[in-house]
Amino acid sequence: MNARANKNHLTSIEPAYYEAVTEAIRKEAVKILKEETVVGVVGYLPGRRKGTATPALVTSVEEAEKLIFSPACVNNLSVYLTKAKKGVLKQGKVGIVAKGCDMRALAGLMTESQLQREDLFIIGVVCPGVYGFGVERTGTLTEANIARKCRECTVHMPEGADVAAGTHAELADLTPEEAEEMARIEAMPQAERWAFWKEHFSRCIRCMACRQVCPFCYCEQCLCDKNRPQAVESSPRPAGNMAWHLVRAMHLAGRCGGCAECERVCPMDIPLNLLNRRMAKELKELYDFEAGLAPVEKGPLNQYKEDDDQSFIK
Amino acid sequence: MPDFEPKIVAFVCTWCTYAGADLAGTSRMQYPPNVRVLKFPCTGRIDPVFILRAFQKGADGVLVSGCHPGDCHYMAGNFHARRRFAAFRALLDFVGVDLNRLQFSWVSAAEGGKWVEVVTELTERVRTMGPMPEFKELEHEELWSTFAGAAGGKSAVLNSPELKEAYDSIG
Ligand code: SF4
Ligand code: SF4
Ligand code: SF4
Ligand code: SF4
Repeated sequence: MNARANKNHLTSIEPAYYEAVTEAIRKEAVKILKEETVVGVVGYLPGRRKGTATPALVTSVEEAEKLIFSPACVNNLSVYLTKAKKGVLKQGKVGIVAKGCDMRALAGLMTESQLQREDLFIIGVVCPGVYGFGVERTGTLTEANIARKCRECTVHMPEGADVAAGTHAELADLTPEEAEEMARIEAMPQAERWAFWKEHFSRCIRCMACRQVCPFCYCEQCLCDKNRPQAVESSPRPAGNMAWHLVRAMHLAGRCGGCAECERVCPMDIPLNLLNRRMAKELKELYDFEAGLAPVEKGPLNQYKEDDDQSFIK
Repeated sequence: MPDFEPKIVAFVCTWCTYAGADLAGTSRMQYPPNVRVLKFPCTGRIDPVFILRAFQKGADGVLVSGCHPGDCHYMAGNFHARRRFAAFRALLDFVGVDLNRLQFSWVSAAEGGKWVEVVTELTERVRTMGPMPEFKELEHEELWSTFAGAAGGKSAVLNSPELKEAYDSIG
């Protein structure tokens, strides 16, 4: 196919592509709102500043006509369905604009019975990528401004969505920076690894943005907020920080959809997605589990096999 | 380190390993007194955060032990624990914790001898390794003290002499 041939050459994704996706999203959103298939659509509206986008729940046709998709649409909107706009699901079916990586979160939330497929109308975006942090927002996506997670994306195509907006487009020959960084850390001597993470974790200010943005951190009370008894020290000191990060990584293991939102929102530039990826890799190796676009019956840490590896147990 | 007596914390399930340890005691078997036993209903109840806390509060080694697969009082608690701890080990390894300080075992109510063996082996291994400083050090560190070594960037901002002075004056 042409798309395949193009794929090998693309060095930039022009604004025209995003405009086409925007058109497709608007058309679909307007249609389902008019037909009253859904009570609202969670999508992106233009931000106040140029080159930005802001998540929004739109409930009228007029608003739906303003929805956009651009490389600034970084947010994983599924978090709105487990937290901020949770209530809207009670009123009826909800439309949601989802990139491939966001769809993995939706699938995971369905696995955990937090969402039901029939309550959602998923407008999948055939996503070439979004902006990284602190890059120049030129409107055109290139190797220079693409997010780190998008360099290794395997879900450009949002399979299983109700409709897909866009045609296939992705940049060619991107270096897998994150995988390289993972390999670098894994090759370090143990003491160096400890020093590496200790430095990173020590900077954490415990703003909890990484938790708030994560669609899977939907606990009514987070273990890390409990103080009777206190499991994890809550002040931003190195001891509590180390515990918090290990707890977070453990709680997301086997659930995390790899949207890298936690890392994006971290004001202290802590590479949280490396931890997520390390856990994902382990669960793939041990239990052949990978977060996918479709829900499964149970996550890898919610099930077992009698013959699971126990070589580490005496 | 001739005088080093390792502190070992053992998280055990009440139905198998605790009974096994009890058997070792009533049978008058000898094992190192370094181990502090904490009893839980099931290995499935032993949260990884307990292990972290043990290390933070001074443990040099941690043992987690429960019923053999298939013997769980609650049918599957130990199967779930097995997966969880396999994942947790990988995480600890990734952040640079020496896994030789963390031992998992299945010890049944009849295996007083195995309990002695497991505890002795872990204690002696940790003894040769020396104290575990990593988590304990964190307990006594404040942000700016660790920042001292951090390379530039935003972290250096917090490492100001004023903050240090203010901190030291807290007494
Ligand atoms: S990871 Fe893939 S689906 Fe997600 S934003 Fe990047 S390119 Fe799009
Ligand atoms: S860190 Fe754990 S306990 Fe806290 S909200 Fe996330 S999953 Fe829940
Ligand atoms: S842990 Fe991070 S990458 Fe994983 S689902 Fe949550 S926000 Fe996304
Ligand atoms: S977002 Fe960053 S600074 Fe805030 S709690 Fe999470 S890791 Fe710490």
